[in-house]
Amino acid sequence: MKQKIFVIAALILLLCLILFMTRDLFFSHSENKPNPYEYDLKALKSADTTQSLYTEDRQIHTRLAEIHGVATDAADNIYIAGNGGVEIYSRDGVFLKKFSIKGTARCITVDVKDNIYLGMEDHVEIWNGSGKLITQWTSPGEESIITSIAVTDTWVFLADAGRKVVYRCDLSGKMIDRIGEKDPENKIPGFIVPSPYFDLGIAPDGSLWVVNPGRHEFEKYTFDGRLVSTWGEANMTMEGFCGCCNPSHFAFLHDGSFVTSEKGIERIKIYTSGGKFNSIVALSASFEEGTKGLDLAVDSRDRVIVLDPVKLMVRIFVKKK
Amino acid sequence: MPDRREFLNTLIRGSILAGLGLLSGALIFRTGKEGDCGFDFTCGSCSKSKDCKLPRALESRQMVWQLDPSKCIQCGRCATNCVLTPSAVKCVHVYAMCGYCDLCGGYFKPGTKTLNTAAENQLCPTNALKRKFVEDPFFEYTIDELLCIGCGKCVKGCGAFGNGSLQLQVRHDRCVNCNQCSIARNCPSGAFSRVPAGNPSLLKGMGTETETGKLKSS
Repeated sequence: MKQKIFVIAALILLLCLILFMTRDLFFSHSENKPNPYEYDLKALKSADTTQSLYTEDRQIHTRLAEIHGVATDAADNIYIAGNGGVEIYSRDGVFLKKFSIKGTARCITVDVKDNIYLGMEDHVEIWNGSGKLITQWTSPGEESIITSIAVTDTWVFLADAGRKVVYRCDLSGKMIDRIGEKDPENKIPGFIVPSPYFDLGIAPDGSLWVVNPGRHEFEKYTFDGRLVSTWGEANMTMEGFCGCCNPSHFAFLHDGSFVTSEKGIERIKIYTSGGKFNSIVALSASFEEGTKGLDLAVDSRDRVIVLDPVKLMVRIFVKKK
Repeated sequence: MPDRREFLNTLIRGSILAGLGLLSGALIFRTGKEGDCGFDFTCGSCSKSKDCKLPRALESRQMVWQLDPSKCIQCGRCATNCVLTPSAVKCVHVYAMCGYCDLCGGYFKPGTKTLNTAAENQLCPTNALKRKFVEDPFFEYTIDELLCIGCGKCVKGCGAFGNGSLQLQVRHDRCVNCNQCSIARNCPSGAFSRVPAGNPSLLKGMGTETETGKLKSS
Protein backbone atom coordinates (compact mmCIF):
# COMPACT_ATOMS: atom_id res chain seq x y z
CA MET A 1 0.00 0.00 0.00
CA LYS A 2 2.79 2.43 0.98
CA GLN A 3 4.64 1.64 -2.24
CA LYS A 4 1.53 2.44 -4.27
CA ILE A 5 1.16 5.85 -2.61
CA PHE A 6 4.84 6.56 -3.23
CA VAL A 7 4.47 5.68 -6.94
CA ILE A 8 1.36 7.89 -7.32
CA ALA A 9 3.09 10.82 -5.57
CA ALA A 10 6.14 10.40 -7.78
CA LEU A 11 3.95 10.34 -10.89
CA ILE A 12 2.12 13.51 -9.81
CA LEU A 13 5.44 15.20 -9.13
CA LEU A 14 6.73 14.16 -12.55
CA LEU A 15 3.56 15.43 -14.21
CA CYS A 16 3.93 18.79 -12.44
CA LEU A 17 7.53 19.01 -13.59
CA ILE A 18 6.55 18.25 -17.19
CA LEU A 19 3.76 20.85 -17.04
CA PHE A 20 6.12 23.48 -15.64
CA MET A 21 8.72 22.77 -18.34
CA THR A 22 6.08 22.86 -21.10
CA ARG A 23 4.78 26.18 -19.84
CA ASP A 24 8.27 27.60 -19.56
CA LEU A 25 9.25 26.44 -23.04
CA PHE A 26 6.14 27.07 -25.07
CA PHE A 27 4.01 29.54 -23.18
CA SER A 28 6.56 32.12 -22.16
CA HIS A 29 4.85 35.46 -21.61
CA SER A 30 7.96 37.59 -21.75
CA GLU A 31 6.43 39.71 -24.52
CA ASN A 32 3.81 40.89 -22.05
CA LYS A 33 6.36 42.01 -19.50
CA PRO A 34 6.52 45.80 -19.21
CA ASN A 35 9.65 47.41 -20.58
CA PRO A 36 11.52 48.94 -17.63
CA TYR A 37 13.34 51.23 -20.09
CA GLU A 38 10.24 52.40 -21.93
CA TYR A 39 10.61 55.76 -23.65
CA ASP A 40 7.06 56.81 -24.38
CA LEU A 41 6.96 59.29 -27.23
CA LYS A 42 3.17 59.40 -27.28
CA ALA A 43 3.10 62.01 -24.55
CA LEU A 44 5.30 64.26 -26.68
CA LYS A 45 3.09 63.86 -29.70
CA SER A 46 -0.13 64.70 -27.90
CA ALA A 47 -1.15 68.08 -26.55
CA ASP A 48 -3.82 70.03 -24.79
CA THR A 49 -6.72 69.91 -27.26
CA THR A 50 -7.90 73.36 -26.20
CA GLN A 51 -4.83 74.72 -28.01
CA SER A 52 -6.02 73.18 -31.26
CA LEU A 53 -7.96 75.92 -33.00
CA TYR A 54 -8.13 74.42 -36.48
CA THR A 55 -10.05 71.61 -38.11
CA GLU A 56 -9.48 69.79 -41.39
CA ASP A 57 -11.93 71.07 -43.98
CA ARG A 58 -11.07 69.13 -47.12
CA GLN A 59 -8.50 66.99 -48.89
CA ILE A 60 -7.30 67.15 -52.46
CA HIS A 61 -5.80 63.92 -53.79
CA THR A 62 -3.06 64.50 -56.32
CA ARG A 63 -2.41 62.34 -59.36
CA LEU A 64 1.34 62.97 -59.12
CA ALA A 65 3.39 60.06 -57.83
CA GLU A 66 5.76 62.24 -55.78
CA ILE A 67 5.00 65.71 -54.42
CA HIS A 68 7.25 68.32 -52.81
CA GLY A 69 5.70 71.78 -52.94
CA VAL A 70 2.41 73.63 -52.61
CA ALA A 71 1.52 77.27 -53.33
CA THR A 72 -1.50 79.47 -53.91
CA ASP A 73 -2.10 82.33 -56.31
CA ALA A 74 -4.06 85.57 -55.92
CA ALA A 75 -7.32 83.77 -56.82
CA ASP A 76 -6.62 81.11 -54.17
CA ASN A 77 -6.00 78.41 -56.77
CA ILE A 78 -3.81 75.67 -55.36
CA TYR A 79 -0.64 74.56 -57.14
CA ILE A 80 1.05 71.22 -56.38
CA ALA A 81 4.54 70.50 -57.70
CA GLY A 82 6.45 67.26 -57.69
CA ASN A 83 8.19 64.78 -59.88
CA GLY A 84 7.34 65.27 -63.53
CA GLY A 85 4.54 67.78 -63.26
CA VAL A 86 2.53 70.58 -61.73
CA GLU A 87 -1.18 70.32 -60.96
CA ILE A 88 -3.55 73.25 -60.45
CA TYR A 89 -6.78 73.00 -58.45
CA SER A 90 -9.44 75.56 -57.64
CA ARG A 91 -9.84 76.80 -54.07
CA ASP A 92 -12.58 74.17 -53.63
CA GLY A 93 -10.36 71.35 -54.82
CA VAL A 94 -11.68 71.04 -58.38
CA PHE A 95 -8.98 69.90 -60.78
CA LEU A 96 -8.21 72.63 -63.32
CA LYS A 97 -5.12 71.60 -65.24
CA LYS A 98 -1.82 69.80 -65.20
CA PHE A 99 1.38 70.32 -67.11
CA SER A 100 4.50 68.23 -67.36
CA ILE A 101 7.99 69.25 -66.35
CA LYS A 102 11.31 67.53 -66.84
CA GLY A 103 12.65 66.44 -63.47
CA THR A 104 11.58 67.10 -59.91
CA ALA A 105 10.37 70.42 -58.55
CA ARG A 106 11.34 70.62 -54.86
CA CYS A 107 9.49 73.90 -54.26
CA ILE A 108 6.96 76.16 -55.95
CA THR A 109 5.89 79.81 -55.70
CA VAL A 110 3.36 81.77 -57.76
CA ASP A 111 3.83 85.52 -58.21
CA VAL A 112 1.12 88.19 -58.59
CA LYS A 113 1.19 87.76 -62.39
CA ASP A 114 0.57 84.02 -61.95
CA ASN A 115 4.06 83.11 -63.10
CA ILE A 116 5.04 79.79 -61.56
CA TYR A 117 8.53 79.61 -60.07
CA LEU A 118 9.85 76.07 -59.65
CA GLY A 119 12.98 75.10 -57.72
CA MET A 120 14.28 72.29 -59.93
CA GLU A 121 16.99 70.81 -57.69
CA ASP A 122 19.87 73.14 -58.64
CA HIS A 123 18.15 75.80 -60.77
CA VAL A 124 14.95 77.82 -61.15
CA GLU A 125 12.42 77.48 -63.95
CA ILE A 126 9.62 79.95 -64.58
CA TRP A 127 6.44 78.68 -66.25
CA ASN A 128 3.20 80.40 -67.11
CA GLY A 129 -0.23 79.15 -66.08
CA SER A 130 -0.74 77.50 -69.46
CA GLY A 131 2.18 75.21 -68.83
CA LYS A 132 4.70 76.96 -71.07
CA LEU A 133 8.29 77.30 -69.94
CA ILE A 134 9.12 81.03 -69.92
CA THR A 135 12.72 80.88 -68.81
CA GLN A 136 15.29 78.79 -67.01
CA TRP A 137 17.90 80.40 -64.79
CA THR A 138 21.46 79.18 -64.61
CA SER A 139 22.35 77.03 -61.64
CA PRO A 140 24.27 78.73 -58.81
CA GLY A 141 26.41 75.60 -58.50
CA GLU A 142 26.43 71.84 -58.87
CA GLU A 143 25.84 71.27 -55.17
CA SER A 144 22.88 73.68 -55.03
CA ILE A 145 19.47 72.45 -53.88
CA ILE A 146 16.83 75.16 -54.22
CA THR A 147 14.33 74.43 -51.46
CA SER A 148 12.34 77.67 -51.28
CA ILE A 149 11.55 80.69 -53.44
CA ALA A 150 9.95 84.01 -52.48
CA VAL A 151 9.07 86.72 -54.96
CA THR A 152 8.50 90.47 -54.43
CA ASP A 153 7.83 93.18 -57.02
CA THR A 154 11.54 93.59 -57.67
CA TRP A 155 13.40 90.66 -56.16
CA VAL A 156 13.43 86.90 -56.08
CA PHE A 157 14.91 85.19 -53.01
CA LEU A 158 16.17 81.62 -53.25
CA ALA A 159 17.06 79.33 -50.35
CA ASP A 160 19.90 77.01 -51.34
CA ALA A 161 20.15 74.11 -48.89
CA GLY A 162 23.16 72.66 -50.66
CA ARG A 163 25.28 75.78 -50.28
CA LYS A 164 23.55 76.92 -47.07
CA VAL A 165 22.91 80.43 -48.32
CA VAL A 166 20.07 82.67 -49.52
CA TYR A 167 20.40 84.46 -52.87
CA ARG A 168 18.78 87.77 -53.79
CA CYS A 169 18.22 87.86 -57.53
CA ASP A 170 16.56 90.38 -59.80
CA LEU A 171 13.56 89.34 -61.87
CA SER A 172 15.81 88.28 -64.74
CA GLY A 173 17.63 85.83 -62.49
CA LYS A 174 20.82 87.83 -62.06
CA MET A 175 22.30 87.18 -58.62
CA ILE A 176 22.68 90.42 -56.64
CA ASP A 177 23.51 89.28 -53.10
CA ARG A 178 24.34 86.29 -50.96
CA ILE A 179 22.54 86.47 -47.61
CA GLY A 180 23.17 84.67 -44.32
CA GLU A 181 26.71 83.40 -44.81
CA LYS A 182 28.70 83.10 -41.61
CA ASP A 183 30.07 86.53 -40.73
CA PRO A 184 31.16 86.88 -37.08
CA GLU A 185 32.02 90.55 -37.60
CA ASN A 186 28.39 91.36 -38.42
CA LYS A 187 27.08 88.78 -35.93
CA ILE A 188 25.65 86.53 -38.62
CA PRO A 189 25.88 82.95 -37.28
CA GLY A 190 25.50 81.23 -40.67
CA PHE A 191 22.88 78.72 -41.68
CA ILE A 192 23.11 75.16 -40.36
CA VAL A 193 21.30 72.96 -42.86
CA PRO A 194 21.94 69.26 -42.20
CA SER A 195 19.19 68.07 -44.57
CA PRO A 196 17.39 69.66 -47.55
CA TYR A 197 14.75 71.50 -45.53
CA PHE A 198 15.51 75.20 -45.69
CA ASP A 199 12.60 77.60 -46.07
CA LEU A 200 12.20 81.35 -46.45
CA GLY A 201 9.31 83.75 -46.92
CA ILE A 202 8.29 87.38 -47.21
CA ALA A 203 6.10 88.54 -44.31
CA PRO A 204 3.02 90.72 -44.94
CA ASP A 205 5.08 93.72 -43.74
CA GLY A 206 7.58 93.01 -46.53
CA SER A 207 10.42 91.66 -44.38
CA LEU A 208 12.50 88.62 -45.30
CA TRP A 209 12.43 85.69 -42.87
CA VAL A 210 14.62 82.61 -43.21
CA VAL A 211 14.60 79.44 -41.10
CA ASN A 212 17.94 78.45 -39.64
CA PRO A 213 16.92 74.81 -39.18
CA GLY A 214 20.03 73.57 -37.38
CA ARG A 215 19.55 76.28 -34.75
CA HIS A 216 15.74 75.90 -34.65
CA GLU A 217 15.43 79.63 -35.26
CA PHE A 218 13.80 82.15 -37.55
CA GLU A 219 16.10 84.92 -38.74
CA LYS A 220 14.92 88.23 -40.13
CA TYR A 221 17.16 89.89 -42.72
CA THR A 222 17.08 93.13 -44.62
CA PHE A 223 17.14 92.66 -48.38
CA ASP A 224 20.82 93.57 -48.44
CA GLY A 225 21.65 90.82 -45.95
CA ARG A 226 21.79 92.52 -42.54
CA LEU A 227 20.55 90.33 -39.71
CA VAL A 228 17.79 92.21 -37.89
CA SER A 229 16.36 89.81 -35.36
CA THR A 230 15.84 86.16 -34.50
CA TRP A 231 13.35 84.09 -32.55
CA GLY A 232 12.93 80.41 -31.77
CA GLU A 233 13.66 78.06 -28.92
CA ALA A 234 15.22 74.61 -29.17
CA ASN A 235 13.34 72.32 -26.82
CA MET A 236 10.92 69.41 -26.94
CA THR A 237 7.91 71.22 -25.57
CA MET A 238 5.04 72.38 -27.76
CA GLU A 239 6.38 75.93 -27.64
CA GLY A 240 9.78 74.98 -29.05
CA PHE A 241 11.28 73.27 -32.07
CA CYS A 242 13.24 70.04 -31.77
CA GLY A 243 14.80 67.34 -33.88
CA CYS A 244 16.90 67.73 -36.94
CA CYS A 245 16.17 70.72 -39.16
CA ASN A 246 13.00 72.18 -37.74
CA PRO A 247 10.81 73.97 -38.55
CA SER A 248 11.02 72.36 -41.98
CA HIS A 249 8.51 74.72 -43.62
CA PHE A 250 6.55 77.87 -42.81
CA ALA A 251 4.04 80.33 -44.24
CA PHE A 252 2.50 83.60 -43.08
CA LEU A 253 -1.07 84.39 -42.06
CA HIS A 254 -2.30 87.83 -43.02
CA ASP A 255 -1.67 89.28 -39.56
CA GLY A 256 1.99 88.28 -39.84
CA SER A 257 1.66 85.14 -37.68
CA PHE A 258 3.91 82.23 -38.60
CA VAL A 259 2.44 78.84 -39.52
CA THR A 260 5.18 76.24 -39.01
CA SER A 261 5.50 72.55 -39.83
CA GLU A 262 7.92 70.07 -38.30
CA LYS A 263 9.19 66.59 -38.96
CA GLY A 264 10.20 64.01 -36.37
CA ILE A 265 7.22 65.04 -34.30
CA GLU A 266 4.88 65.85 -37.17
CA ARG A 267 2.96 68.96 -36.13
CA ILE A 268 1.75 72.23 -37.49
CA LYS A 269 1.61 75.20 -35.15
CA ILE A 270 0.98 78.92 -35.22
CA TYR A 271 3.22 81.56 -33.63
CA THR A 272 2.46 85.24 -33.34
CA SER A 273 4.43 87.69 -35.47
CA GLY A 274 6.65 88.20 -32.42
CA GLY A 275 7.44 84.49 -32.17
CA LYS A 276 5.17 83.54 -29.27
CA PHE A 277 3.44 80.18 -29.46
CA ASN A 278 -0.23 80.71 -30.23
CA SER A 279 -2.09 77.56 -31.24
CA ILE A 280 -2.04 74.16 -32.94
CA VAL A 281 -3.25 73.43 -36.46
CA ALA A 282 -2.56 69.68 -36.58
CA LEU A 283 -0.71 67.11 -34.48
CA SER A 284 1.12 63.86 -35.23
CA ALA A 285 -2.11 61.85 -35.08
CA SER A 286 -3.16 63.52 -38.34
CA PHE A 287 -0.13 62.20 -40.23
CA GLU A 288 1.59 58.91 -40.98
CA GLU A 289 4.56 58.32 -38.70
CA GLY A 290 7.75 59.53 -40.34
CA THR A 291 6.05 62.05 -42.61
CA LYS A 292 8.40 64.81 -43.65
CA GLY A 293 8.19 67.63 -46.14
CA LEU A 294 4.91 69.13 -44.92
CA ASP A 295 5.08 72.19 -47.16
CA LEU A 296 2.67 74.99 -46.28
CA ALA A 297 0.71 77.72 -48.00
CA VAL A 298 -1.94 80.16 -46.80
CA ASP A 299 -4.70 81.56 -49.00
CA SER A 300 -6.55 84.88 -48.86
CA ARG A 301 -9.02 83.46 -46.33
CA ASP A 302 -6.20 82.37 -44.01
CA ARG A 303 -6.90 78.70 -44.67
CA VAL A 304 -3.79 76.65 -43.92
CA ILE A 305 -2.94 74.45 -46.90
CA VAL A 306 -0.71 71.51 -46.03
CA LEU A 307 1.08 69.24 -48.47
CA ASP A 308 1.09 65.63 -47.23
CA PRO A 309 3.68 63.86 -49.37
CA VAL A 310 3.07 60.45 -47.79
CA LYS A 311 -0.69 60.39 -48.33
CA LEU A 312 -0.18 62.20 -51.68
CA MET A 313 -2.72 64.89 -50.94
CA VAL A 314 -3.17 68.52 -50.02
CA ARG A 315 -5.07 69.03 -46.79
CA ILE A 316 -6.88 72.24 -46.02
CA PHE A 317 -7.30 73.33 -42.41
CA VAL A 318 -9.68 76.09 -41.38
CA LYS A 319 -10.15 77.88 -38.09
CA LYS A 320 -12.83 76.34 -35.87
CA LYS A 321 -15.99 78.43 -35.57
CA MET B 1 38.35 -22.49 -70.55
CA PRO B 2 39.30 -20.63 -67.32
CA ASP B 3 38.50 -22.40 -64.09
CA ARG B 4 36.69 -20.86 -61.15
CA ARG B 5 39.92 -19.94 -59.27
CA GLU B 6 41.24 -17.98 -62.24
CA PHE B 7 37.92 -16.18 -62.61
CA LEU B 8 37.93 -15.13 -58.94
CA ASN B 9 41.56 -13.92 -59.18
CA THR B 10 40.69 -11.79 -62.20
CA LEU B 11 37.64 -10.39 -60.41
CA ILE B 12 39.63 -9.44 -57.30
CA ARG B 13 42.43 -7.82 -59.38
CA GLY B 14 39.83 -5.91 -61.39
CA SER B 15 38.08 -4.70 -58.23
CA ILE B 16 41.38 -3.53 -56.71
CA LEU B 17 42.27 -1.65 -59.89
CA ALA B 18 38.82 -0.02 -60.08
CA GLY B 19 39.05 0.95 -56.40
CA LEU B 20 42.46 2.51 -56.92
CA GLY B 21 41.12 4.44 -59.92
CA LEU B 22 38.16 5.76 -57.94
CA LEU B 23 40.39 6.77 -55.02
CA SER B 24 42.79 8.66 -57.29
CA GLY B 25 39.91 10.41 -59.04
CA ALA B 26 38.33 11.41 -55.72
CA LEU B 27 41.65 12.76 -54.44
CA ILE B 28 42.23 14.81 -57.57
CA PHE B 29 38.66 16.12 -57.46
CA ARG B 30 38.95 16.97 -53.75
CA THR B 31 42.20 18.88 -54.25
CA GLY B 32 40.59 21.02 -56.96
CA LYS B 33 37.53 21.76 -54.83
CA GLU B 34 39.51 22.87 -51.80
CA GLY B 35 40.74 25.89 -53.63
CA ASP B 36 44.39 24.95 -53.60
CA CYS B 37 45.45 28.04 -55.44
CA GLY B 38 48.89 28.34 -53.90
CA PHE B 39 48.17 31.63 -52.11
CA ASP B 40 48.40 31.98 -48.33
CA PHE B 41 45.81 34.75 -48.07
CA THR B 42 42.09 34.85 -48.78
CA CYS B 43 40.49 36.83 -51.55
CA GLY B 44 36.99 38.18 -50.96
CA SER B 45 35.81 37.58 -54.49
CA CYS B 46 37.52 34.19 -54.95
CA SER B 47 35.19 31.56 -56.41
CA LYS B 48 36.84 28.92 -54.22
CA SER B 49 36.38 30.86 -50.98
CA LYS B 50 33.49 28.60 -49.92
CA ASP B 51 35.89 25.67 -49.68
CA CYS B 52 39.01 27.55 -48.68
CA LYS B 53 40.62 26.15 -45.55
CA LEU B 54 42.78 29.13 -44.62
CA PRO B 55 42.07 30.39 -41.04
CA ARG B 56 40.68 33.75 -42.20
CA ALA B 57 38.22 32.06 -44.56
CA LEU B 58 37.15 29.62 -41.85
CA GLU B 59 36.55 32.54 -39.48
CA SER B 60 34.46 34.43 -42.02
CA ARG B 61 32.26 31.39 -42.49
CA GLN B 62 31.58 31.15 -38.76
CA MET B 63 28.23 32.72 -37.94
CA VAL B 64 27.53 35.11 -35.06
CA TRP B 65 24.42 36.86 -33.78
CA GLN B 66 23.64 40.42 -34.84
CA LEU B 67 20.61 42.66 -34.72
CA ASP B 68 19.32 44.61 -37.64
CA PRO B 69 18.71 48.26 -36.60
CA SER B 70 16.17 48.73 -39.37
CA LYS B 71 13.95 46.11 -37.71
CA CYS B 72 14.70 47.09 -34.09
CA ILE B 73 11.80 48.68 -32.19
CA GLN B 74 13.79 49.54 -29.01
CA CYS B 75 11.60 47.36 -26.78
CA GLY B 76 14.27 47.21 -24.05
CA ARG B 77 14.63 43.41 -24.10
CA CYS B 78 18.25 43.54 -25.26
CA ALA B 79 19.01 44.95 -21.81
CA THR B 80 17.01 42.40 -19.86
CA ASN B 81 17.21 39.13 -21.82
CA CYS B 82 20.93 38.69 -22.48
CA VAL B 83 22.69 35.96 -20.47
CA LEU B 84 25.38 38.55 -19.71
CA THR B 85 25.00 41.42 -17.25
CA PRO B 86 25.29 44.04 -18.60
CA SER B 87 24.07 42.91 -21.99
CA ALA B 88 26.39 42.24 -24.94
CA VAL B 89 24.15 44.57 -26.94
CA LYS B 90 25.43 48.14 -26.90
CA CYS B 91 24.59 51.39 -28.53
CA VAL B 92 27.00 52.31 -31.33
CA HIS B 93 27.29 55.68 -33.00
CA VAL B 94 27.39 56.01 -36.78
CA TYR B 95 29.20 59.35 -36.83
CA ALA B 96 28.78 59.76 -40.58
CA MET B 97 25.02 60.06 -40.02
CA CYS B 98 25.12 62.28 -36.92
CA GLY B 99 23.94 65.88 -37.14
CA TYR B 100 26.00 66.81 -34.04
CA CYS B 101 22.87 68.56 -32.78
CA ASP B 102 22.84 70.77 -29.72
CA LEU B 103 19.36 69.51 -28.85
CA CYS B 104 20.04 65.79 -29.26
CA GLY B 105 16.91 63.63 -29.01
CA GLY B 106 19.05 60.70 -27.89
CA TYR B 107 20.74 62.62 -25.11
CA PHE B 108 18.11 64.88 -23.59
CA LYS B 109 14.95 63.94 -21.75
CA PRO B 110 11.73 65.43 -23.13
CA GLY B 111 10.93 68.69 -21.42
CA THR B 112 14.55 69.67 -20.94
CA LYS B 113 14.73 73.41 -21.17
CA THR B 114 18.38 74.09 -20.44
CA LEU B 115 20.64 72.13 -22.73
CA ASN B 116 23.43 71.10 -20.39
CA THR B 117 24.87 67.87 -19.01
CA ALA B 118 22.97 67.95 -15.72
CA ALA B 119 21.96 64.44 -14.68
CA GLU B 120 18.27 65.31 -14.60
CA ASN B 121 18.40 66.26 -18.28
CA GLN B 122 19.89 62.99 -19.49
CA LEU B 123 17.77 60.31 -21.10
CA CYS B 124 20.36 57.54 -20.63
CA PRO B 125 19.68 55.73 -17.32
CA THR B 126 23.38 54.93 -16.83
CA ASN B 127 25.02 58.13 -18.10
CA ALA B 128 26.69 56.13 -20.88
CA LEU B 129 26.14 58.78 -23.55
CA LYS B 130 28.69 61.60 -23.30
CA ARG B 131 28.30 65.06 -24.78
CA LYS B 132 31.23 67.24 -25.79
CA PHE B 133 31.22 70.72 -27.32
CA VAL B 134 32.89 70.89 -30.74
CA GLU B 135 32.08 74.35 -32.09
CA ASP B 136 28.95 76.49 -32.08
CA PRO B 137 26.35 74.96 -32.43
CA PHE B 138 27.78 71.43 -32.72
CA PHE B 139 28.21 68.77 -30.04
CA GLU B 140 29.79 65.34 -30.31
CA TYR B 141 28.18 62.34 -28.62
CA THR B 142 30.18 59.26 -27.64
CA ILE B 143 29.20 56.04 -25.90
CA ASP B 144 30.91 54.59 -22.85
CA GLU B 145 30.43 50.89 -23.56
CA LEU B 146 31.30 49.92 -20.01
CA LEU B 147 28.23 51.81 -18.83
CA CYS B 148 25.89 51.08 -21.73
CA ILE B 149 23.31 48.40 -20.96
CA GLY B 150 21.73 48.29 -24.42
CA CYS B 151 18.32 49.57 -23.32
CA GLY B 152 17.86 51.53 -26.56
CA LYS B 153 16.33 54.67 -25.04
CA CYS B 154 18.83 56.91 -26.79
CA VAL B 155 18.33 54.98 -30.02
CA LYS B 156 14.61 55.64 -29.88
CA GLY B 157 15.12 59.34 -29.14
CA CYS B 158 17.68 59.76 -31.90
CA GLY B 159 15.49 57.97 -34.43
CA ALA B 160 12.41 59.99 -33.48
CA PHE B 161 13.99 63.42 -33.59
CA GLY B 162 17.25 63.06 -35.45
CA ASN B 163 19.01 61.12 -38.15
CA GLY B 164 19.01 57.75 -36.37
CA SER B 165 22.78 57.67 -36.01
CA LEU B 166 22.57 55.91 -32.62
CA GLN B 167 21.93 52.21 -33.23
CA LEU B 168 22.02 48.99 -31.21
CA GLN B 169 24.50 46.27 -32.12
CA VAL B 170 25.73 43.01 -30.58
CA ARG B 171 29.34 43.61 -29.53
CA HIS B 172 31.30 40.49 -30.32
CA ASP B 173 34.19 41.28 -28.00
CA ARG B 174 31.82 40.25 -25.18
CA CYS B 175 29.00 38.22 -26.80
CA VAL B 176 29.39 34.53 -25.90
CA ASN B 177 27.56 33.56 -29.12
CA CYS B 178 25.01 31.22 -27.53
CA ASN B 179 23.66 28.55 -29.81
CA GLN B 180 20.18 29.92 -29.14
CA CYS B 181 20.53 33.61 -28.29
CA SER B 182 18.09 34.39 -25.50
CA ILE B 183 17.50 37.93 -26.78
CA ALA B 184 16.78 36.62 -30.27
CA ARG B 185 14.26 34.19 -28.77
CA ASN B 186 12.37 37.07 -27.16
CA CYS B 187 12.86 39.75 -29.82
CA PRO B 188 9.34 40.83 -30.85
CA SER B 189 10.42 42.22 -34.21
CA GLY B 190 12.66 39.36 -35.34
CA ALA B 191 15.60 41.73 -35.62
CA PHE B 192 18.21 39.10 -34.68
CA SER B 193 19.87 36.87 -37.23
CA ARG B 194 23.11 34.98 -37.79
CA VAL B 195 25.70 36.86 -39.83
CA PRO B 196 29.23 35.86 -40.92
CA ALA B 197 31.83 36.56 -38.21
CA GLY B 198 34.06 38.16 -40.82
CA ASN B 199 31.44 40.86 -41.45
CA PRO B 200 29.47 41.09 -38.21
CA SER B 201 27.95 44.60 -38.36
CA LEU B 202 24.48 45.49 -39.58
CA LEU B 203 24.38 49.27 -39.48
CA LYS B 204 21.53 51.32 -40.89
CA GLY B 205 22.20 54.09 -43.36
CA MET B 206 25.74 53.14 -44.24
CA GLY B 207 26.59 53.11 -47.89
CA THR B 208 23.06 53.92 -49.02
CA GLU B 209 22.26 56.70 -51.46
CA THR B 210 21.06 59.95 -50.00
CA GLU B 211 17.69 61.41 -50.89
CA THR B 212 19.03 64.14 -53.08
CA GLY B 213 22.40 62.65 -53.76
CA LYS B 214 23.88 65.64 -51.96
CA LEU B 215 22.33 66.12 -48.57
CA LYS B 216 21.01 63.42 -46.32
CA SER B 217 17.32 63.76 -45.62
CA SER B 218 16.25 63.03 -42.08
